[in-house]
Amino acid sequence: MIGHRPMGRENSMEKKVLVFEAARCTGCRICEQWCSVRHFGMAGPSLSRITIIRDHVNQIDNGIICHQCVDAPCIASCKFDALSKDGTTGAIIVDARKCTGCRLCIRACPHGAVRMHPGEKYVLICDLCAGEPQCALHCPEKAVQYLERGKAERPYRSALVRGLAGRGKRYER
Amino acid sequence: MEAVRRFIGGRGLGAWYLYNEVGPEADPLGPANSLIFMNGPLVGTPLPACNKINLCFKSPLTSSYSYSLCGGHWGPELRFSGRTGLIIEGASREPVYLWIDDDEIELRPADRLWGRTVPETEELLRAELGGDELVQIACIGPAGEMLNRMACITAGRFREFGRGGCGAVMGSKRLKAIAVRGTGTVRFDDVAGVMGLAERLTADLLIQPKTIERRNYGTAEFLKGINDNGFLCTRNFSGTHFEEGHLLEGPRMREAIVVGDSSCFACPVACGKRSYVKTRDGRRMLLEGPEFETIALLGSNCGVSDWESLVEATLVCDEYGFDTMNAGACVSLAMECFEKGIITIRDTGGMELRFGNGAALVSLLRMMAERRGIGDILAEGVRCASERFGAPELAMHSRGQALPAYDPRGCKSMALAYATSPKGAHHMFSPTMGHEIAAGTRLSYEGKGALHMENQMEMCAVDSLGICSTVRGSFNISEQARAFGLVTGMKLDVEGLKLAAERTINLERIYNARLGFSRKDDTLPKRILCEPVPSGPSAGETVDLDRLLDEYYSQMGWNLEDGLPTRERLLTLGLLDPDAV
Repeated sequence: MIGHRPMGRENSMEKKVLVFEAARCTGCRICEQWCSVRHFGMAGPSLSRITIIRDHVNQIDNGIICHQCVDAPCIASCKFDALSKDGTTGAIIVDARKCTGCRLCIRACPHGAVRMHPGEKYVLICDLCAGEPQCALHCPEKAVQYLERGKAERPYRSALVRGLAGRGKRYER
Repeated sequence: MEAVRRFIGGRGLGAWYLYNEVGPEADPLGPANSLIFMNGPLVGTPLPACNKINLCFKSPLTSSYSYSLCGGHWGPELRFSGRTGLIIEGASREPVYLWIDDDEIELRPADRLWGRTVPETEELLRAELGGDELVQIACIGPAGEMLNRMACITAGRFREFGRGGCGAVMGSKRLKAIAVRGTGTVRFDDVAGVMGLAERLTADLLIQPKTIERRNYGTAEFLKGINDNGFLCTRNFSGTHFEEGHLLEGPRMREAIVVGDSSCFACPVACGKRSYVKTRDGRRMLLEGPEFETIALLGSNCGVSDWESLVEATLVCDEYGFDTMNAGACVSLAMECFEKGIITIRDTGGMELRFGNGAALVSLLRMMAERRGIGDILAEGVRCASERFGAPELAMHSRGQALPAYDPRGCKSMALAYATSPKGAHHMFSPTMGHEIAAGTRLSYEGKGALHMENQMEMCAVDSLGICSTVRGSFNISEQARAFGLVTGMKLDVEGLKLAAERTINLERIYNARLGFSRKDDTLPKRILCEPVPSGPSAGETVDLDRLLDEYYSQMGWNLEDGLPTRERLLTLGLLDPDAV
């Protein structure tokens, strides 16, 4: 007997999550462009569910991105039943008709990944592009990856070992 | 729309506005000058490296037409605020900054910012605007305020409108900064077409050997080829091969100082290199760069090869806000004057200003930045300073703009680029060196007029569309014409794009003609024309500029006597009203 199949591989789609690794990001924001075009047919960072922010003082680019929490605090915080999980991908689905723009979920999200639509009264949350997240698909640096939840921590832990993750550390030689 | 059809956008449209708005009598540092920021039609789209915003202005350094392009994120942010461009006219009595928050636009007092360096200004202003890191800030440093004729406008901390002294123009208007927040969008005529093209171009770009070099080493990857072929500016162009050049090559830079990579908006190349140096006395220096031209003009051209001095020198320029290239040329001029005894230790305030003295390089740049001592003279630019020293023949410039890194004696078409560029000696007007090295024709004269003409039109096209020239190998002119159509819905073929580029170059030419510039000003320093290269792969070479100019003018349909566009040519290009006298 060679061994057992790892647990939880039967429905791998549901187990996949987005992973962002700051040490790889160069701040090109191509992810934001693909996100906004995919969902709205036009380009604009403020319509993107993923946001890349450059810390101009320390010269670090970091991404604000939905982590597909297992017990999603955004859903729990919603008083209007506007948020739910997609059965296939596990992504958060926003019902724009029910959403009141109260911004409770923005405060509830531990990752800051919920934003208001710049012109409408509903929030934008990553929907994983129905299982083909464009940000991960088009990132030239592989700073955004779409990985099985059980392996999602690996790039981050590898970066820790290389001493590249986190502020301050990164530029010490 | 008619203007877009004729001039595309960016540099082309900027030239058209400048021609119409800033007359020949305008003092470059007076209220009659304008700063004309203009995005190309592709800026803000997901097409690769479409992030360049062009600035047209009358230059206080060359007293002529000038343009400068800036990458990074400021131009796209302006586009997302709903604006293609921005024209700054007149002048303020008190220091002000401009705050653009989507539809709202306001001039606000900048007393707290005046006198501050570039990083201080950015930090203070960002805090004042609520700490939003997504606000994009373009500002001037103390150099711009003090009307240093090499001053630049810095956007996003490390991207500059670099050459020609636009920072001094902004300083003369007492405009300290322009902060932008744009939450709008850019729409395209054919969404699927644009995204398909973006995907295809990006995939093609990422497998090009040139791109891989750029990703690894930034523009510094260029240095080895230029030095090995013997046309790298060395010790104020007294030589063309730097024997310590191997210390400055891309891989050495990566190994010695680079800690990370940085991209401009929508660019998969990430040629920006973040460098970190901890000095011997314990100071920490972090910057994006230095770029190839900086390494050459501050490095080999001053005989300096240690990274600590180079990084500090670059940081001084970045913090005070002036062009590393013109600054390097001023230092190398002063160094040669010192070695020749034209200036002495009394002039330099006790400094041994010899080639290779990295500490002196940094000190002199600080003096220039603060206009102290001999630095006050050098801040006027290489031409004025050399006249004050009584050694004009040692100033390596064309029309006051310092020569870039490529010594034209070892790469003949670059002589045309420097001599005929409307903004004074500038490499990106027509960078032919890559082609000339690959073709093995760098020392020959045949066909160089045609090569230069073709190249300058391609550059004008990318500058007008808003594409970074780094990607023009994959994103070539036929793809550019296709992209223009997909984004704007206007029909334009390659010939149409080239025609618009030629129209722009002729317009730039007649702008300068209106100021009295002609063939007599299309010239190079005596050293380049008459002094043979002493040693190395280009040994014995000079430049026969007249031969090159004759061929180029013929190609352009310009008069051979005065080098100006003929009436017929201007009529054909639609730049002359046929009824006008």
